[in-house]
Amino acid sequence: MKDILASLPGLNDKYSMFSCIAEDADLGDSKFLFSAEDGLTSKDMMTRCGSKMLDGHRPVFDAAAIEKMRAAGGKLIGKCNMDEFGFGSFGTNSAYGIPKNPFDLERSCGGSAGGSACAAAAIDGHVSLGASTGGSICCPASFCGVYGLVPTYGRVSRYGLVDCGNSLDKVGLISSDPELLARFLPVISGKDPREPTSCAQPELELKGERIGSVGVPEEQLEGVSKDVLSCFESSLDVLRGMGVEVKMIKMPSLKYALSTCFIISAAESSTNLASFVGMRYGQQEGDLSMRFDDYFTYFRTKYIGEEARQRILYGTYIRMAGLRERYYVKALRVRLHIIESYKKAFAEHDAILTPTMPFVSPKFEEIAKMTSDESYGIDRLACPPDVAGMPHISVPCGYDGSGMPIGMQLVTDHWKEDPLITFAKDWGKAFDVRRPEVSL
Amino acid sequence: MMIGLEIHVQLPTASKMFCSCPTTDAEAPNTHVCPICLGMPGTKPVLNKKAVECGIKLAKMLNCEIPDIMWFARKTYFYPDMSKGVQVTQYEKTVGSKGVYLLHGKKPIGITKIQLEEDPGKTKRVGDQSSLVDYNRAGTPLTEIVTDPDFSSPAEAREFLKQLITDIRHTIDLPGDGERSIRCDCNISIGKERVEVKNVTGLRNVERALTFEAIRQTKILKAGGKVDRETRRFDEERGVTISVRKKEYESDYGYINEPDLGVFHIGEMVRSISIKESPVNMAIRISREYGIDEKTAGQIVSTSVNLAKTFEAIAEATGSPQKAVSWTTGAISANWKAFEAAGKDPAGIVRITKRFADGDITDIEADIELKAYMTGSDIGTIKEQSAGLDQIVGDYLDSHPEIIDEIKKNEKAINRVIGHVMKETGGRYSSSDIVSATKGALASRL
Ligand SMILES: [Zn+2]
Repeated sequence: MKDILASLPGLNDKYSMFSCIAEDADLGDSKFLFSAEDGLTSKDMMTRCGSKMLDGHRPVFDAAAIEKMRAAGGKLIGKCNMDEFGFGSFGTNSAYGIPKNPFDLERSCGGSAGGSACAAAAIDGHVSLGASTGGSICCPASFCGVYGLVPTYGRVSRYGLVDCGNSLDKVGLISSDPELLARFLPVISGKDPREPTSCAQPELELKGERIGSVGVPEEQLEGVSKDVLSCFESSLDVLRGMGVEVKMIKMPSLKYALSTCFIISAAESSTNLASFVGMRYGQQEGDLSMRFDDYFTYFRTKYIGEEARQRILYGTYIRMAGLRERYYVKALRVRLHIIESYKKAFAEHDAILTPTMPFVSPKFEEIAKMTSDESYGIDRLACPPDVAGMPHISVPCGYDGSGMPIGMQLVTDHWKEDPLITFAKDWGKAFDVRRPEVSL
Repeated sequence: MMIGLEIHVQLPTASKMFCSCPTTDAEAPNTHVCPICLGMPGTKPVLNKKAVECGIKLAKMLNCEIPDIMWFARKTYFYPDMSKGVQVTQYEKTVGSKGVYLLHGKKPIGITKIQLEEDPGKTKRVGDQSSLVDYNRAGTPLTEIVTDPDFSSPAEAREFLKQLITDIRHTIDLPGDGERSIRCDCNISIGKERVEVKNVTGLRNVERALTFEAIRQTKILKAGGKVDRETRRFDEERGVTISVRKKEYESDYGYINEPDLGVFHIGEMVRSISIKESPVNMAIRISREYGIDEKTAGQIVSTSVNLAKTFEAIAEATGSPQKAVSWTTGAISANWKAFEAAGKDPAGIVRITKRFADGDITDIEADIELKAYMTGSDIGTIKEQSAGLDQIVGDYLDSHPEIIDEIKKNEKAINRVIGHVMKETGGRYSSSDIVSATKGALASRL
């Protein structure tokens, strides 16, 4: 563990996974190291959510998940870079460095929890906390060739998670080792009286339940790259070899998940971001003798990044009187519809399986050329279970010709994390996960 | 003329709506605060159950429809004293809606809705150039009661508020003073356009603000002008309303559901909560049930709800509501305050009146026994005193026969007897005793 701590500055110079690194290298009684997305508050390290807005912000409390990891003997080694307030799929919208893919420095780690996936890929035996609103854990996990677990909505307390889309946000885990997911999910789970939506959960039991059958929604395979598709298909053969029944099914409502997710998260996040006006915490610059609304406008224009600003505008637009019925209220209804279609599928199959991303991680130069629609669209496979609040996991399932990792995503019914964990452990034995060459 | 009110009442909870900070007055600004009510990133609200109970009680008091499932909403607007840039309130499913409340037991006033919400902090101007923000109040639970535009005059709006406040205090045990004031937004339209006068405090000011607006709008319309749709404020010192901002269209607060709180299944709670009968409703009921006039019933109830209960017990025991009224408004109410304060049992009063009704004692004896029981003095002393009083009154009437005629024409002339006796005895006898002695003396002289 000491070697890892010592290597962090060098690692970060190369990969930019951290927005800040633990200053004291003293291990004390620590039993393990972990890192956390910068959207989770931490007492001893700044919490900036990738935003200039929160520069200098030192919270007075630890997020529940960080608190529990520390209580279990963990040492927080760094806060991971993320797209500003969770807005982005490539990790490129951060004010504190863009994480680079350990398999190819020219490529993205994905987002928004890009830094967490990067750390999980580059550091041996490492586990990182991330948050997922619409694919934010599984996307980077897939791009970085690691396991990304998103528990059921409400399984892990969101206390201390700086909100993106509150009714979608979940705290999860990313690691190259499925055993670590099994070890730490029980640590971070559980009711928290400080966070009401965590209090309706049944107890988490990891008793080794196995997935016997998976349904693969045909529609989700459309538009997926050749490499990803062939990897996915050979993974289906491996699954059959493991005794899992594989069936092609139809889930046409999943195609609405992306816009549903976008609308709900934009509506909610635009109200969350209303609290960031300077004056109270974080960045304090500005002339307080201005009229307050001029000051707020000055401050928000200067310190909120381009993408976050766009989401605020979208979110505000779809909440407006006369439009909220057409967008916001409708999206809430569609979400229920999507949940229902999953429930129907789970009556027949233990899990739903798709590729996690439609292609391998793109190069930064390709990302720069993408339109907004194209970049939003890449989460269309990863985000449906997030919309439904269902637990899901991305597991590495192959590599393309240039060695870039490919992942597949399994979804189970609410509160059924157990079979996902069991599957990840089994899969870890059946599938040879490659680790990137990490040289300093 | 159309007048409607929006009334904000702070709820008497010990802690704030979504955190455990106290709601009591703080010694210094920004001391009753925590990360939650300061809206620090990552915090989440936890709902105060007591606030919901208060909301349900008031919804019941206002005869509202109460849903089985309710939730909260976020109302977005930017203001320095709004720590989250968002106010948690209710929008689609409020704790009550479509209620009706009877003004003076007769005129129905529609209650559009009643909702729970949090108070923002306070902005205090310091000098010309700067303001200071105090978040001590931020997150204090509030209820907002919105009426239909059912009032036909400023005076009626004031009457309504007076009655409503009495009932609210009684229903949720609201303390009568201090910071927990009641704030009112007054909507008034003489013509087509509606004007809102924001944040008026105090009954008198509500009536003054509305009256000023009514006159101002009438003048404009008479002169052929157009009343602007706008928000105004009331200047208490000058007694005028001043334009704050024009409203070309309805403010758009971009409401969404509050996602951190979820939905609340309150059906069970609603069924388990019963409210005390409000003083106003009690007066109306007593008036109807016992066939006595509303004013008298109102007087009894406003003296004390327990006095009204005693009245009911006497009426039941004696079978004569009329006699119960004269006992209650006479000897009993004259001695009630000290009696109630001493915590004595009204059952004794009921027993004495019952013995009179059964013919065991005369009304004079009953009167003496009541006084003795209620004041805790000896019957002999009371008898002596009362004989003394009869003597003084009798002598006075005998020497001033013209007063007897005056009293026959107008009962108010009894005041002259009261004045005389008070002067003669230095206030030894209560005015109600003097009145009953005079009435007794008159009866024997007719
Ligand atoms: Zn507080």
